[in-house]
Amino acid sequence: MKKVSIDRRNFIKLSSLSAGGLAIGFMLPGIRAMATPFPECEFFQPNAYLKIDKKGKVTVFVGKQESGQGVDTALPMIVAEELDVDFKDVKSEIAQYGTLKEGEHDTGGSQSVMGMYSQLRNAGAVAKAMLIAAAANVWKISASSCAADNGEVVNTITNKRIKYGELVCAAAALPVPKEVTLKSPKDFKLIGKSEKRAGLKDILTGKTKYGLDIKLDGMLYAVAERCPVLGGTLVSVDDAAAKKIPGVIKVVSYKGTGAPMHVRAGVAVIATNTWAAIKARKLLNITWDEGTKNKESTEELFKTFASKADTEPQFKVFNKGDVKKHAGKKEFTARYAEPFLAHATIEPVNFVASVKGDNCELWGGLQLPDWAVNTISKECAFKKENIKVNLAAMGGAFGRRLHFDFAIEAVKIAQQIDKPVKLLWERADDIRFQPYRPANYHLLKASTDAKDTIATWQHHVLGTPVAFMTEGPDSKSAPEMDGADEGFCYDVPNIATGYTAVDFNINRGWLRSVDICVNTFPVESFIDEIAAQLKKDPLQFRLSMLENRPNFKTGDKPDAMEQSPARIAGVLKMVADKIGWTDKRKPNHFIGLATHSFIFAKSYAAHAIEIELLAPKKFRITRVVAAIDCGLVINPDGLLNQMQGGLAFALTQALKGEITVTDSRVVEDGYFSYELLRFDEMPPVEIYVIDSKEEPGGVGEVGLPTVAPALCNALAAAGYRPRTLPIRNEGFSWV
Amino acid sequence: MPSFSLNINNQQYTVEAEADMPLLWVLRDLLGLTGTKYGCGVASCGACTVIMDGNAVYACQRPVGTCVNKKIITIEGLSEDGSHPVQKAWQKAGVPQCGYCQPGQMMTAAAMLGKNKKPSEETIQSEMSNNLCRCGTYHRIKEAIDIAIEEINK
Repeated sequence: MKKVSIDRRNFIKLSSLSAGGLAIGFMLPGIRAMATPFPECEFFQPNAYLKIDKKGKVTVFVGKQESGQGVDTALPMIVAEELDVDFKDVKSEIAQYGTLKEGEHDTGGSQSVMGMYSQLRNAGAVAKAMLIAAAANVWKISASSCAADNGEVVNTITNKRIKYGELVCAAAALPVPKEVTLKSPKDFKLIGKSEKRAGLKDILTGKTKYGLDIKLDGMLYAVAERCPVLGGTLVSVDDAAAKKIPGVIKVVSYKGTGAPMHVRAGVAVIATNTWAAIKARKLLNITWDEGTKNKESTEELFKTFASKADTEPQFKVFNKGDVKKHAGKKEFTARYAEPFLAHATIEPVNFVASVKGDNCELWGGLQLPDWAVNTISKECAFKKENIKVNLAAMGGAFGRRLHFDFAIEAVKIAQQIDKPVKLLWERADDIRFQPYRPANYHLLKASTDAKDTIATWQHHVLGTPVAFMTEGPDSKSAPEMDGADEGFCYDVPNIATGYTAVDFNINRGWLRSVDICVNTFPVESFIDEIAAQLKKDPLQFRLSMLENRPNFKTGDKPDAMEQSPARIAGVLKMVADKIGWTDKRKPNHFIGLATHSFIFAKSYAAHAIEIELLAPKKFRITRVVAAIDCGLVINPDGLLNQMQGGLAFALTQALKGEITVTDSRVVEDGYFSYELLRFDEMPPVEIYVIDSKEEPGGVGEVGLPTVAPALCNALAAAGYRPRTLPIRNEGFSWV
Repeated sequence: MPSFSLNINNQQYTVEAEADMPLLWVLRDLLGLTGTKYGCGVASCGACTVIMDGNAVYACQRPVGTCVNKKIITIEGLSEDGSHPVQKAWQKAGVPQCGYCQPGQMMTAAAMLGKNKKPSEETIQSEMSNNLCRCGTYHRIKEAIDIAIEEINK
């Protein structure tokens, strides 16, 4: 199995730091055998990932946390493929915390399928080999004379068959083989065919239990008021009026924390039901000491970005050739800006905690449970082994539940009462106290030579880095330039890129598509601007810098990622072809396109978007064409779902998503002020998948980064070049 | 504490609650009917949509005191076994990603189709725009509604 480069994703680094070891969740070698045989033999469980009962029903234990991305279906498909069973006989279950090795529950970075592919094939193949060995013993023939077929072992000499279910006890008594042979992908029957989501019926009948649906005996309900300014402290609280609300049990306060989760100081109302807690919270009379960083605003932040953009970057990121020496005659400059963003999952973050003496039990959704346990152990003084975690389905994550500020809060509250407590973040809390996708600003410069090819390329990114989370205001590992660093895909001889971090007093975090999305917007916009000024076709202009460039490594380290300009060109040509790039367009219709590689998920996507201009700066999106090359596709329906949904997520960002700050307070407080794309704004989409034999890549994030630049390039073709997201701020409107 | 008799999913429940407690929290915290979801509490997302006397309403906006003598249907009561045409259509179209908003989406769709078996495009657009989906399953919601319309008009 190929090692997944982990240094591309800070969160993996961070989680491993606190876990005291290397993150192994995405590259666990080998399979851990469970104790066998089982007395009574109720089922056969050769490893932590699956068990088979005597009826031949298979349960696959999914370590990656489900939040809508479909791992509860794609990962069992991989196991079932090698096991050779009917997928109807396969059930998906959460691999509860503690049943897998540390790090293996970590879920993020589009890594689940990539990281688990070989391992789960192995897990299925091991089980199949043991079932075959058991059948061979029954028939007293060699295992090589047996074959597996659809939940049965076949005697290839006599054509007799034994069902897996009848073999489980015999198989359970056998040693676990150290090496197994995997299928050739050409023999795959299940992988590559669409399967409906596991647990679909439970979702559709309201039976699925998300974190917020957990109910324990005697459980109480809490909501919390938090210091409006990050880093502030509680001076005093008058809770007399709050305590008069029927159902209120107790009002407790807790201190904030610093890195890594930056929990704000808070006052929580604990009650017998959520409504009593919500009502009482409004009656709290709290005095906060806001500290000195209480006058910051996004308006000033963007002015600071602009003023620093022309100075030398704080960090040099990627340099090649000499941009000064080889500057061409024609010069191009543009500035782009993107705001803070919130995850805004429809299930707001929430958590259940119960503290009994030295023991702490937790219930809820966590993308990085190991890091959460390690941090809670330190922050709340529990021995790690005394913390029990029960993982639950998540009503959306998008990176929000990589963070576990809410879990720390729940424990701090539960430490002050003798019953389990469910902490709910109300919607306003969710929007106002997020780990936000950083605000950012870009100065791009380029020059072209006599042949109108790009001679020099400079990209200065300014931002409020995610690294604040673990390192505080003076982070030293700040550069967040994925998509614009060594992996920059266009063949330009002289490149200078750098990053400047600007301090700002709100928390930051990882949002779906992270800095690749941040950087693809300016890069793919600027390329288009240069093409337009040179009067070159933007498709051919891109292809001229991609098609002849061989694959290249993005660094000197052995695990440096590989970039494939040919695959980036491939998806671009696909969308251009499908949207009819060279066709005559209807009046007032314009197209834009953009391409990229989601490098650390080994997947590639492009978008072509057609708009109809209805009035100056007023438009309708008439067509969206997407192409994706993610290597081998496990579940095509799941892939389509991610690409369709990714479009809604990305359009929200392009059109209207924005978090603003005044006096160090987030202004937006819900879906009325932080608007998401709605049903009637969703344009039609056509999705094309490149047929590929490459190993599977990740698909949860790759569908986002090219949406905004493709849309903006279409608007530019119509005569209006947006350089700020959301484009609503530049006076655009849409129907 | 006042007591209220509620007709939910064709069953009669008696709950003790403050009269201003929204139906949402009565369902979730007092009755354990957690299929109705909290999303915002302020009528902006539709996750808590239930059907009351045939109309899709936001349960977060209905104090329990106003829910007496109403016929309330939640996702748990839309059908016994997921066989309501809307649920079947949602299954066929493979709508959900995280699934959290889908009970609300289906209740909005079921109420719409309960009133009008052949809603216009405009009606579908405006009704379904009351419900947010952060995963972005809108294409499939539309597909499912089209399937359900075909089914109920057979």
